[in-house]
Amino acid sequence: MVAAVVVLQLGFVARAYWSDHKEFGFQMFPESSTWRADVVRVTADGRRIPIEYPWSGYRWDELVQNRGLRYPAVRHHADAGLANQLAFLDAALDWVADNTPRDAETRYLEARVTSWHNADPPRVRVLRSGVREAAG
Amino acid sequence: MSTATVSAPSRGRVLVARFDDLLGRAVSMRALALLRVLAGPVVLLHLQPFLSDARDGRIYRDAFYEPYAAWYPELPRAVYVGLLALAAVAAMAMSLGLLTRIATATTFAIVAYNLFLSTTHFHNNRAYLIIVLGLLAAAPCGRELSLDAWMRRRRGRPPLDRSAPAWPLWLLRFECAAVYGASGLSKLVDPDWFGGTVTWQRVVRAKQDLEAWPLPDWAVSLLTERSFHTGAAKLIVLTELFIATGLWWRRTRYAAVWVAVAFHVAIEFSAAVQVFSYLAIAVLVVWAVPSTRDRVLRIDLTDGRQRRFGAAVRRLDWLARFRVEPAPPDSRPEGVDRDGSTLRGTAAVALALSRLPLTAWFALPALLVARDKRTLGPP
Repeated sequence: MVAAVVVLQLGFVARAYWSDHKEFGFQMFPESSTWRADVVRVTADGRRIPIEYPWSGYRWDELVQNRGLRYPAVRHHADAGLANQLAFLDAALDWVADNTPRDAETRYLEARVTSWHNADPPRVRVLRSGVREAAG
Repeated sequence: MSTATVSAPSRGRVLVARFDDLLGRAVSMRALALLRVLAGPVVLLHLQPFLSDARDGRIYRDAFYEPYAAWYPELPRAVYVGLLALAAVAAMAMSLGLLTRIATATTFAIVAYNLFLSTTHFHNNRAYLIIVLGLLAAAPCGRELSLDAWMRRRRGRPPLDRSAPAWPLWLLRFECAAVYGASGLSKLVDPDWFGGTVTWQRVVRAKQDLEAWPLPDWAVSLLTERSFHTGAAKLIVLTELFIATGLWWRRTRYAAVWVAVAFHVAIEFSAAVQVFSYLAIAVLVVWAVPSTRDRVLRIDLTDGRQRRFGAAVRRLDWLARFRVEPAPPDSRPEGVDRDGSTLRGTAAVALALSRLPLTAWFALPALLVARDKRTLGPP
């Protein structure tokens, strides 16, 4: 059992070099990277509405409260690294799309992310939630 | 059977047998008992934000969360909140040593269950916490420093054996070293980290906070200077790697523990790391040699100062390192170390203080001076 735990722990440490969330990998303060994102709801009729505006009784800052995602338009430090941060943002878009049943107009959520990996030049990428079939 | 047909065991088998012997050898569980006591408040601190949210009517699934697996069981709200409360009670019982094994296992199970409910719950300090709790749950560490042991004594029953197979202790030592090693290695192989870019950028972005501290201008200037971080980053990386390796050797262990405590205090003051600093400092007790009462402190009971010092040592000797014995009147304090070497006077005081968890960090440097004053064997 001792050998199994040791091998498992070493496996987690190795896995942390390519996994987003680096569970049991113990990579502390890995980056000075920062990021910000313009997150919009794209409606069935093609409008792009920033999530800073409440919709159908929902507010982004109430739906997404943790992991530094509450105010995505503000440039933040990616505490556990960019890959980790953007994986959370991607998952948050999906979660909001799936958990806002009163919203009948949003087809998907989209985040246009600008990220600065340490001292590298900024990089822009687009993340999208799954498409909501319920949207009119 | 002729001797020619008997093959010598391979080196690999000998090594495995030696490891088996090491892991199975009965050693004192005192360090794990002390860690158990210290882990309770750490768990309470860890649970505090979850309990605080629950008190306000919020739980994890009221906002964004991301399950690790679709099959992972999620409980009705009231049961989940009840479990968190049970974890807090179990953590207190674990610390006090009441139904220790059950309390520790319960604490571990609930803290682990809660951690794996969502990827958003995951932080390095929480991962370390469940490793520690898991190993404490596996070790019979409730036979001392516990209400269980006290109640057993009150009932007139003989105490349970305080030693047990060493494998949980060794595993915990491995995990402790792995935390520093993994962290240091990841920084060593990252040119941005080792070259100082990461720390420099972090400090520059936090310059406003830095200026709010009572630091002279030249210090702020130095800390935000790029070239300073070229050296400082390397020092940080090498510090982590030194702790990871230094803990394994007796000659470097005390230095590694001393550096680790200073390192965690610095982190606690400069970053938000939840319970990491408290937990990491508490876990350092597992590096104490797992044997008890193998050092002697002789004090003159007719001398008020020495008597008070002896009482303080008895009270603070949480790792049970010393037998405190009376010395002849008018003699100076005398400390006999594990190897039989003897220290007298202030050197003996420094030895005692350097082996008590609460005072060790302050007294260890003094011991460097006292080292030259040892005499070998009985006086």
